[in-house]
Parts: sequence; structure tokens; C-alpha cells
Amino acid sequence: MATFSPIMRQLGCLKSAAKPQSLLSAQIARRSLTTVYTPKPEPVPLPTNLPESFLSQLTPRLHPANGPKKIKIYPPPPSTRAACKDPVAAVTESQLKVLDPNGERKALFDYRRSPRSVKVGDILRVTFKNGDPFSGVCLSIRLRGIDTAFLLRNELTRVGVEMWVKVFSPTVKSVEIVQRTEKRKRRARLYYMRQPRHDMRSVENIVSNYLRQKSVLAGQRRQGGQNRRQKR
Amino acid sequence: MIQLKTMLNCIDNSGAAVVECVNVLKKKRPATVGDRIVVVVQKQRNFGPESSTNSGIANKVRRGDIRHAVVVRAKKEMQRSDGSLVKFDDNACVLVNKSGDPIGTRMNGVVATELRGKQWSKILSLAPMHV
Repeated sequence: MATFSPIMRQLGCLKSAAKPQSLLSAQIARRSLTTVYTPKPEPVPLPTNLPESFLSQLTPRLHPANGPKKIKIYPPPPSTRAACKDPVAAVTESQLKVLDPNGERKALFDYRRSPRSVKVGDILRVTFKNGDPFSGVCLSIRLRGIDTAFLLRNELTRVGVEMWVKVFSPTVKSVEIVQRTEKRKRRARLYYMRQPRHDMRSVENIVSNYLRQKSVLAGQRRQGGQNRRQKR
Repeated sequence: MIQLKTMLNCIDNSGAAVVECVNVLKKKRPATVGDRIVVVVQKQRNFGPESSTNSGIANKVRRGDIRHAVVVRAKKEMQRSDGSLVKFDDNACVLVNKSGDPIGTRMNGVVATELRGKQWSKILSLAPMHV
């Protein structure tokens, strides 16, 4: 049977049989399998004290003159943070020095520290450099350094009016306490006084009374002064 | 913050008591003190029985009239140049004609001083008090 096999082969197979044997063997040769890993060889460093005469033999890349450039390192800019640790506090202090040199206003409204200061519920009268004075009940005091302000509420012509006034504003000429609260208020912010049930309504009567008394006292003082002058 | 549908008190003697804002003029945001608005008179002020007979003085406007008005008080606080804030408990306005003169001859109630900065000194001089 084996002897007949080449004869029984199909004719088409003859072509492949006729192929040059060399090509087939090359294919076999190419089929390889790598099993051993060889690392990339480390570059051999140049000897440190290379004589001058050998330098010309080196490639230009390895020539010591063409080595890596030295990068110039600049010192960091001076830190503003280090110059001024707390700029907000510094500004507040400098502004207070200008606007409130005696510290009277600060003491008048610093209700946490000074016991004689304005408290919420007091009736205050503020006079301005430009415009009419405004009086009202102090509903709240906002302690914010130079932005310290207080809220006054009053009723003018049967309409409630509220005004936030900045304590250290240069337009505020004076702040007077017209009347203190009888009892310490248990709230820091008396916003409940906006409700009709708790509203104090107009404080104009109290303020006008106070002003009358004040003018009388001032008149007495002035008279006394005149008398003294006359005596002299 | 006066905008469409806001109800305002009218504090002059033009005859309107309560008006409703229907438009804010020259502005794309809510009106505040000194701004001109268009209003509809919603409620008339009745000046008693004797004034109804001779309605020559009273009620220059009727219910349903569309008029121009100037806001003189606002609930929304407004800031002054020195940092102080002023707010009122109600919104109020004064009716004016097309040329900007007030329709009423008297006003009752406090108004804001900001009117002066917006060239409404005529209204400010009519007011009994300003803050």
C-alpha cells in the first residue's frame, strides 16, 4: 500500500512537493523560543582622570565639555506671609488707631468686655455729621473689628424704621445712651421686637424728654460758668 | 424689592390707598427707593361723606386707574455710602404724572433720603419727615 501512495496522490499536491526545500527549512529555523533573559548591559562609566590625549578619541556626546548643563537655581521670592502673619488684624488695628484713637467707641460697644457698654435693649441716639440724628432701640450689636455696627429700631410717623450704623464710621459724630434697659435681656439679638406683640413702638417721647433734661442741665452749667466768670 | 404684583401703600392725598405694581421702569431688576414704577390703583381712600359730595379735592384717581409712581419706602434694606443700612416696615409709593410731578399735594409718612440722589427733591420737600 505504501508504495502506491505517491501515485494515488492528487495532482494538485505536486505543486507543493515541487516547492524548493530551502524555503521550508528557513521557516522552521525562524520558529524560535526565548527562554533566557539577558539584561541591557550597564554603560561603563568613563574613568575619572582620563588623560587629555585620549579625549579626542571620545565621541562628542561623551566629551566632558558637552556634559549636562548646570541649571541656575534662583532663591524663592520673599514670603509675604512671613512679613505679615495676620494682615486683617493689622489693618483693623491701624484703622482703629486712625478712627478711634482714644478707644472710647470700642469700649462703648464691646459688650463682652466692658460692663458699662451699650447693651441690647438700650435706647440710643446717634448724631451724624451730615443729616438728622436718629434714635431708636438697639436690637443687636455686631462686633466685627472695624466693621462693628449696631441696629436701631424706631417708629416714625407710625412706620417702623430700622438702621444699621457703623460704630467707627467717620460720619457718626456721637452716640448717646438715652435710657438703659431695666432688665438685662436674655437674648443677644432682639429681632422678636419686630413683631407687633413685642414692638416698643415710638421712642421719640423718651428721647425728647432726655434732650429736654440734657438742655436744662447744660443751661445750668453754662449759667454757673457765667457766674464764675463774673466773680472773677 | 418691588416687582410685578407687589402691593404698596400710597401715602399722598391723590385718593389711592393701596396700589399694585405692574411694571418697573428703566430697570431689569426689582425696584427700590427712588425708582419709577407703573401701578394699578386697587383701593381708594374715602375722605368721608362730605368729600364724596364735592369730589373736586379728593380722589384724583379711581380704582383701576393705571398711573406712574415713585417708590419712597422699601422693606428691603438699602445701603448708604457710609456702610449704614436703612429699612422700613412697609413698601410705599407716591403717584406722579408722566412728567414726574406728584399728583397729590400732601404726603403723610416718612420717606427715605435716597430720593434726593435720584432727583425727586419735589417729593422730598412734600414729605413731613425723611430718614
